[in-house]
Amino acid sequence: MSRTIEELAPAAELREDIEPATEADGEKARHRLIGESLARKEDDRLLRGDGRFTDDVQPAHQLEMAVGRCPFPHARIRSIDISQAAQLEGVRHILVGSDVRALSDPLTVLRPVPGAPELSYYALAQETATYEGQPVVSVAATSRAVAEDAVELVEIDYEPLPHVTDTLGALDGNAPVLHPEVLDSNLLVANRDSGGDPEARIAAADVVVRGRLRSSRVTALPMEPRGVLALWRPGARELTVHSSTQVPHLMRKQLAESLRIDESCIRVLASDVGGGFGQKLGVYPEDILACLHSTALRRPVKWIEDRLEHFRASTHGREASHDYCIAADADGRIRAITNTYTTDLGGWNSSFGSAQLSSVIFTGPYKVTDGAVERRVAITNKTPIGAYRGYGQPEANFALEVLMDRLAREVGMDPLEVRRKNLLRTDDFPWRTPSGATYDSGDYLRTLEMAAEAVDYETHRAVPRRPRADGRLVGIGLSSFVERTGYASSRFLANRGSQFGAHESVTLRANRSGGIDLYTGVSSIGQSSETAFAQVCADVLGVEYERVRVHAGDTGASPLNTGAFASRTMIAAAGAIREAATRFHDKTLRIAGWALEAPVEALVIDGGAVMHRREPERSIPLSQVFTRAILGQGVPEGEEPGLEVSSQFEPPEAAFSFGTAAAVVAVDPETGEFEVERFVMVHDCGVAVNPLVVEGQVRGALVQGLGAVLGEELRYDAETGQLLSGTMLDYFAPMAADVPPIDLFHTEVPSPVTTFGVRGVGEVGTIPPGAAVANALCDALEDYGVELSELPITPEGVWRAIAAGKRGDSPAETGERP
Amino acid sequence: MNGNEVEISLQVNGETLRERVPARMHAADFLRQRLGFTGTHVGCEQGVCGMCTVMVDGQAIKSCLMLAAQLDGADVRTVESLAAGDRLNDLQEIFKRHHALQCGFCTPGFLMLATSLGARGEPLSREQIREEISGVLCRCTGYEGIVRAVEEYLLAKPNQLEVAEVSS
Repeated sequence: MSRTIEELAPAAELREDIEPATEADGEKARHRLIGESLARKEDDRLLRGDGRFTDDVQPAHQLEMAVGRCPFPHARIRSIDISQAAQLEGVRHILVGSDVRALSDPLTVLRPVPGAPELSYYALAQETATYEGQPVVSVAATSRAVAEDAVELVEIDYEPLPHVTDTLGALDGNAPVLHPEVLDSNLLVANRDSGGDPEARIAAADVVVRGRLRSSRVTALPMEPRGVLALWRPGARELTVHSSTQVPHLMRKQLAESLRIDESCIRVLASDVGGGFGQKLGVYPEDILACLHSTALRRPVKWIEDRLEHFRASTHGREASHDYCIAADADGRIRAITNTYTTDLGGWNSSFGSAQLSSVIFTGPYKVTDGAVERRVAITNKTPIGAYRGYGQPEANFALEVLMDRLAREVGMDPLEVRRKNLLRTDDFPWRTPSGATYDSGDYLRTLEMAAEAVDYETHRAVPRRPRADGRLVGIGLSSFVERTGYASSRFLANRGSQFGAHESVTLRANRSGGIDLYTGVSSIGQSSETAFAQVCADVLGVEYERVRVHAGDTGASPLNTGAFASRTMIAAAGAIREAATRFHDKTLRIAGWALEAPVEALVIDGGAVMHRREPERSIPLSQVFTRAILGQGVPEGEEPGLEVSSQFEPPEAAFSFGTAAAVVAVDPETGEFEVERFVMVHDCGVAVNPLVVEGQVRGALVQGLGAVLGEELRYDAETGQLLSGTMLDYFAPMAADVPPIDLFHTEVPSPVTTFGVRGVGEVGTIPPGAAVANALCDALEDYGVELSELPITPEGVWRAIAAGKRGDSPAETGERP
Repeated sequence: MNGNEVEISLQVNGETLRERVPARMHAADFLRQRLGFTGTHVGCEQGVCGMCTVMVDGQAIKSCLMLAAQLDGADVRTVESLAAGDRLNDLQEIFKRHHALQCGFCTPGFLMLATSLGARGEPLSREQIREEISGVLCRCTGYEGIVRAVEEYLLAKPNQLEVAEVSS
């Protein structure tokens, strides 16, 4: 079943050139570009510092905006006095809550929580502000410095109100109700999904293991903060918005709704985006404010988020508390899994709200027919939570996989063996989970065996647990996972109130130089979509990679699409590109066939020309074929002029990526100090379009995932409700020296539900690190009875867990034998 | 305004300039907004993230922690100085080959930091490289490609690195 490490795909290497096609059977064999580690399209401009990020666009007569923010977690705004600020030299325009209410509508939610009331908000706070950092006043001035000076001069009389920052505490009957006009508690909604009869299975089980496991609040922290540049031309009725966004077309829709103008008046451009990770999904208050200033002043108005603002003004991620229960036979066979969990929404519903995918994958990669999951959403006085890489899957994986090891200890089995026993097998697919998801395919067990082999798991188990010479104990932890990538059709989404679709689109346009212009609404956020799209297009057409030029992220030039999130871009776009390229290819051959007086079947596109398969001297350059098409001259009778194809594609199902991670951790049992000495990831994203890019995506996400394990935390002071780790100095983000050695291995099971068999890859690395590291620590410290239940895991936390284990009051005691 | 302005003369990417700048303007804003060298990015304005790293008199510095006024008499190099015409320089090519960038926002900072390491003329171990480059953050790559790229760059150019370019 398992294969040795030597058989695994070697580390990706970049190919600068494209090898010529090889001769086979007297005909040119197709050289496939899908699967090649081609040089990235995006690199040259970025390496020269010649990218065009939002703040790099500097129009003449530009004004800059600064925002005054509520310093309290919850406060009534008694009065605002702007008279002094308005007199400051250089100040051009000031907006307060009542202006915004008169000029615009609340921000719309792209992904509402099913069954929940609307909880959207105006760009500036109205009577009350519900989180520290909520915008209250906005100033446009001749420079950012002047605008900030003016914000300081605005006098705001706040009446602090009782606040609640604890997720579960917000649902307590004593907590202040934060939105009494909409709800009579802080529970936004509860959704339940179930299959089979988990209660009966739990009652009949030999062993039941329960645990409460929490993931902390973190931030995506893209290196480029958010930014917007708005320019209104009243005569043209044209609002041009440069934005650091993952979703230009969705942002256009949201801006139109809030600003009460037609979408046709708005053009959103996202040229280069300095990282997104889910945080730059959808419209934010500052986007609306910059547009309102610009429409009032008829001048370009720019707002660039500074990093202090970023920690409060840009959506946070994670923060959830999971109450899991696993019921099993004495031999470790799982009979039922239940999970009731609470996510933290923050003060309002952002464009994407708190994570919704924990429910989808709550049974993990295991063969479980009976299960129930309930998601509860709590409103608190903190920055709104939004999408963040993983969107609920890291939280659920941490909880389930830590509990899997507790189950193993409870039944006296090896954690590897318990996983082996319960993982879905290749002939189980398609597998419908108790919450209604359908896993498409995979060889889950193989990834487990490969990860175990890579860390020499059996040898580690065979050796007695003794401190090394440096006094440290070594443990190995496993974490197997699935990840939903992309999502099912728009019909599925519609049932959940989604305000976006499931399709991607592309336009291919021939030009007279013999090149192909590819237009997409997917903005470049570092995911290498320009590269991958060009690769797929060139592959299907049979032209050189260099011949395809990608134009991305401009709603004025691209077909309407959905956007870069949910690991969905390639899953959906591959279908659109294949369809468009196939039609483009066929028309190219028809015109070339007319020119060469040859039947279409005899022709092939090879690099820069169309040639006869058996008489290669009969050929015509693409530039000539394309020119004929564009002029409408020298084309077959009845052939339409032009050579331009648009195509939309909606994937029928989501594809599930999968794999197993293993961490090797050394810990000092006296102090709790520990180090991740090695991390192994075995991962399957189906067919890799560009292996080098895939490796980069997985590594990058793993380090973000490890960051959330080893220290990232947005901590709020319970008493004051203030954010304690809201600066770059206080928030731990991994530096190069913090990253442990990581070994990546890939398997490649093509997905049967996607074009080319691809699966998504952008988020997967964030999922397994939490449980792998926690399980390794618990393994090393098993003799101390240590259990870990919270992320991040700090040396202090480990030290406390050791102390608790010695006292015998660790959460391990939650195991029960009915 | 005039009392709050300072006159400075300096070299940027080989060009001699004389500028009047607001006393409170930091060097990164000066390079970006006044001179149009937008390859120098701004990520935190408190000297942590390293996006704004440039070379001043041969040393890598975080330009958000300097005032423009402090650049008087300095020799400044930004990322725009690296490529020659259509040709990327060796360091840029190595970064490309190792997929050492994704969104590219941190890339100018790493390139200027690596250039300054190269100017020292001594190869470093991977562990030393990880320590040396920890003043610039990257949220996309997980650093592996960057570490490999810097290692190759330092090995490929022992001793004679772009000292000539730096002092030009």
